[in-house]
Amino acid sequence: MFGLPLAFTAPAVLVALAALPVLYWLLRVTPPRPRALPFPPLRLILDQRPREETPSRTPPWLLLLRLLVAAAIVLAMAGPIWNPPPALGGGTGPLVILLDDGFAAAPGWDRRVAAASDRASAAERQGRPTVVLPFSDGARAVQPATASQTLERLRALKPQPVVPDRLAALPALEALLAASPDADVVWIADGLENGHAQAFAERLASLTTRHPATIVTAADTPVAVAGTDNQPDHLDVRLVRAGNGAPTEGRLHAYDLKGLPVGDADFRFGSTVETHATLTLPVELRNEIARVAVDGVASAGAVSLLDGRWKRRRVGLVSGTTADVAQPLLSPTFYLARALAPYADVREMRVGTADPLAALLDEKPSVMVLADLNVGPGADHDRLQKFVADGGVLVRFAGARLAGQADDLVPVALRRGGRSFGGALSWDQPKPLAPFDAKSPFAGLVPHDAVTVTRQVLAEPDPGIADKTWAQLTDGTPLVTAEKRGKGLVVLFHITADTTWSNLPLSGLFVAMLRRIVDLSGTVAPGGGDKAGASASEAATLAPSRILDGFGVLEAPPPAARPFVASAPPAVSLDHPPGFYGPADALVALNLFGPADTLTRFEASGLPFGRDSLLASEPIDLRAMLVTTALVLFLLDGLATLWLGGGLRRLRAGRPAAASVLILALAGALLWGPVRPAQAFDDGLAVSKQDMQSALSVRLATVMSGDAGLDAASLSGLTALSHALADRTSLTPGDPIGVDPSRDELSFYPLLYWPVSAAAPQPSAATKARVASYMKQGGTVVFDTRDALTQRPGGPPTPEGAWLRELLSGIDVPEVEPLPADHVVNRTFYILAGFVGRYATAPTWIEALPPPSANEAARPARAGDSVSPIVITGNDLAGAWAADADGQPLFPLVPGGARQRELALRGGINLVMYTLTGNYKADQVHVHDLLERLAR
Amino acid sequence: MASDARLLGPNERAIGVPHREAAQTLARRLPALTVTAQHIAASVAHGVHGRRRAGMGESFWQFRPFVSGESASNIDWRRSARDDRTYVREREWESAQTVWLWIDRSPSMGFQSTLAPQSKGDRALVLGLAMADLLVRGGERVGLHGLCRAMATRGVIDRFAEVLALADRQGAALDDLPHPEPLPARSRGVLIGDFLSEPERIAAALTRLAAAGAQGQLVLIADPMEDTFPFAGHVELRDSDSTARLRLGEASAMRTLYLDRLAAHRAAVTEAARAVGWTTMLHRTDASAAQALLTLAFGLAPASRTGAS
Repeated sequence: MFGLPLAFTAPAVLVALAALPVLYWLLRVTPPRPRALPFPPLRLILDQRPREETPSRTPPWLLLLRLLVAAAIVLAMAGPIWNPPPALGGGTGPLVILLDDGFAAAPGWDRRVAAASDRASAAERQGRPTVVLPFSDGARAVQPATASQTLERLRALKPQPVVPDRLAALPALEALLAASPDADVVWIADGLENGHAQAFAERLASLTTRHPATIVTAADTPVAVAGTDNQPDHLDVRLVRAGNGAPTEGRLHAYDLKGLPVGDADFRFGSTVETHATLTLPVELRNEIARVAVDGVASAGAVSLLDGRWKRRRVGLVSGTTADVAQPLLSPTFYLARALAPYADVREMRVGTADPLAALLDEKPSVMVLADLNVGPGADHDRLQKFVADGGVLVRFAGARLAGQADDLVPVALRRGGRSFGGALSWDQPKPLAPFDAKSPFAGLVPHDAVTVTRQVLAEPDPGIADKTWAQLTDGTPLVTAEKRGKGLVVLFHITADTTWSNLPLSGLFVAMLRRIVDLSGTVAPGGGDKAGASASEAATLAPSRILDGFGVLEAPPPAARPFVASAPPAVSLDHPPGFYGPADALVALNLFGPADTLTRFEASGLPFGRDSLLASEPIDLRAMLVTTALVLFLLDGLATLWLGGGLRRLRAGRPAAASVLILALAGALLWGPVRPAQAFDDGLAVSKQDMQSALSVRLATVMSGDAGLDAASLSGLTALSHALADRTSLTPGDPIGVDPSRDELSFYPLLYWPVSAAAPQPSAATKARVASYMKQGGTVVFDTRDALTQRPGGPPTPEGAWLRELLSGIDVPEVEPLPADHVVNRTFYILAGFVGRYATAPTWIEALPPPSANEAARPARAGDSVSPIVITGNDLAGAWAADADGQPLFPLVPGGARQRELALRGGINLVMYTLTGNYKADQVHVHDLLERLAR
Repeated sequence: MASDARLLGPNERAIGVPHREAAQTLARRLPALTVTAQHIAASVAHGVHGRRRAGMGESFWQFRPFVSGESASNIDWRRSARDDRTYVREREWESAQTVWLWIDRSPSMGFQSTLAPQSKGDRALVLGLAMADLLVRGGERVGLHGLCRAMATRGVIDRFAEVLALADRQGAALDDLPHPEPLPARSRGVLIGDFLSEPERIAAALTRLAAAGAQGQLVLIADPMEDTFPFAGHVELRDSDSTARLRLGEASAMRTLYLDRLAAHRAAVTEAARAVGWTTMLHRTDASAAQALLTLAFGLAPASRTGAS
């Protein structure tokens, strides 16, 4: 209304504002009470009738005040709402909600669902059914449902890691609109043209001529990572966005397969829609990168996955010919180096090195390329053999030397000499290459007819040679053969690496073939035997391994995800969502966007749509505020009237106490902030009574969060734990206590349980320093975020998690790790597998132990040098312990059961024992040895 | 809204330590006062006015020969030892004047406007008590008319304050005119009040008081608001001694009439006092109390002293 996000539920009441002038006139002619004054000499003039009786007028400011009161009451009765819920269209039929649920909708998904829910609720109030049509599920026919069903459906919806094709939803929509022509259509769009938005919008416009559809857009469009390229000295990440509205700058994070951060880089778009970010890292670290994600953008589009294909491999080049520096074009290594350089680090042998092969092997390459070199028995031969057995790829090229005398580092037995085609003394023509077999690593490459072979070495026609053949000539003679040896691979090109025997080294095919081979170097399956063929057949179908969800989090594959054929990577769809496919040691990444993809903004301009924007905030009912304002103004009016009539002075003079009470009450009502009860605190006493009590007995302590319910639950939980400790162990703790770390001395408490409440204000820097010093001095803080049900591994942090992160950012916290099963805290009293509370799913984090040494590996329990100062869990431990006076539990457990409650209590007992005894139980493993030694 | 006024309640009007201290402070600022003794009553006890004749007194007057038949104890042996005659030492006859004080304690005296630092009643009380203290220190006897007998004790302020407080509590002294019992002859009367009653009643009361020939003075206490009528606009005025109230639409129109009436009233009161030989003085509460006390003292002090000081 008036360009403001303001609406009235009962606008008819506003007509009453027209009565304000009448009120104005009435108030004007009704003056306030006269000033009443005592006047002893009155009797002198008591007989006089006043000559002038015209009363003075009401003062204008009082008039204004009263009009304001009336106006505020009228406005309040009209039910004003700031940021009103959206109005539905003019239709009377069902409400159709079209929901963009692609990757672009993920960042503001909650707002989108809220917008849809608001509209569904509004439709319910009008008694209209609703239909939710997510585009990713668009092809399915849908029926109108009640609002509650719709809301349930909306809650269950999640953004999909795909770009849904909106046109697929047209048939269902058409059928729906044909069945109920009075329907209203609301399209909650993500603002991207990707997925045929324009075509769909035009069709939608023609379908909804009766009741124009409403399109709801967010102001911001997402940024996406489209393509990564591992350059020789950096990782280049390409980022795209859809015009203005997207973030113009940000930060990229790179993670390895375990999710640990590897590096980060900033990016800035400027005014363009495409930019590149550069991750400058050592190649070893770059090869570890498995995932690149834009910081703070929870969307599948902002994540790009990297598999083995992105790794840069080190390739060593050795040639048997003496390096002729004067004629580089005749050197075989020239072609190899040129063909390998774009995607591998090529190390050539240095001129003048005594033992070039050993020198190159020292550089630990993944691939060794030997161009026409005969490796005779000796140290070099043994090293090469070990290199292959340890997983290296040895690529050999034939030549005069190899043809003359073959060693055993070849996949097939070679005939002495070779054969020539098309020579002066031959009838044969130079042979072109045959198409590659589907099982070959070169499958998918297309040999060019111009590539011919004039000379080659021949393999002995042994049985099984067909399995070893990767490429062959049109007459069936093997051109490239390979064999698994140990963990590695030996590949032989039956031609030279220069152009003397074949023009293959001049073709692009040579580059592609070498690339395939280099890529193989990371994925060669371990184990001996002839696995080349087997791995090729395994690679034929890649099963989904870890799949991105719409928020860009890697998860277990959804049931809908299906495997695909390795040779034909499919386009990203719901059947093949982006993620990692294939076996764990040879993951293949499928990405939503490739290096050629762009994002386009969809403006929906020129189409007859109603427009709306995603609500930035909740609707606010202004009624209470207006009524309060009216009340306050009314009180002011009363005071003013009192003052005008002189009553205020009388009040003040007559009953000063009553007046001050009244004024205090007014002031209190006006302040209306939560008034914290004053804490009774005896400053005079050097040691407070509480500290005295705490020093005399071991007590468990919880940090008061300020949330009364949470604090009561925590205290109750600690009480129950204290009882259990007294029952089962030799420790009899005192009553647990709630402490305020900003005020109370913490050093009396061995264990501080800190339930994290996201609503609580962050402690001050001084408080953080106190907590840090408490942890430094040997105290243990158990942070319980109680968010096991809401946290997602790798996902955006929960509010509690974010709160804890901010808190700990100011504290020197040691490195933490997920609680190892053999950690001593799992052994201190009971033998446990971890800590469960009301929930059992959240991991527990504890100070990282030093890595186990070899002679310690068999020990049942490991411990560090001291007690971990920090334990972080999300399982709401105290909630599981909490019990009422009769010992009946206060809160239900998830998944539930008496066993879980018992395990929670045992975990609590172990925790307390751990803080009190430290690594004592870990030392107990020596008891056996000690006893033996004593007996001796 | 510059001026405002109120009527003190009974509690506020109670006589307390502040009044006594104020009165004492005020009295100390003036020299001891002795009242002109024009008419010396034979019945009056000894005082400090030298009567130029022998009598009861402190200071030496003359030696006279012993007359036979006198009490031998009267003989001044020191003087008689100088020659053969016996002498009697005579002292000068000293007598004290009696001043009767009356302070108006009626409700209208509780009026105080914002223009004045004190209510009329407080000012009257301070003036009266200071006057009493001054007189006692000058050797005179002071009494509260109708409430207590004349006395010359040092702590007269406290005594009077107690008596007045008791009278207030019993509601005895709430009348706006003094008790109609005549003052003794040759004594002085000092009446402090606002004298807003009808002039006829005031004249009748004065006539009764002065029936025995007592002289006296009227002190008219007035609040500046009563004196100037500074009201304007819509005002409702309420009488203090009765329930009468007057609502004025435009109060400023009434000012001239009021001031005329007030002047006429005061003239009538002055005339009534003059008829019995009494004097009147007007004192506004915004003026200094010391000034009023000085004026009052000069009215009571002997002419010679007045001239000398």
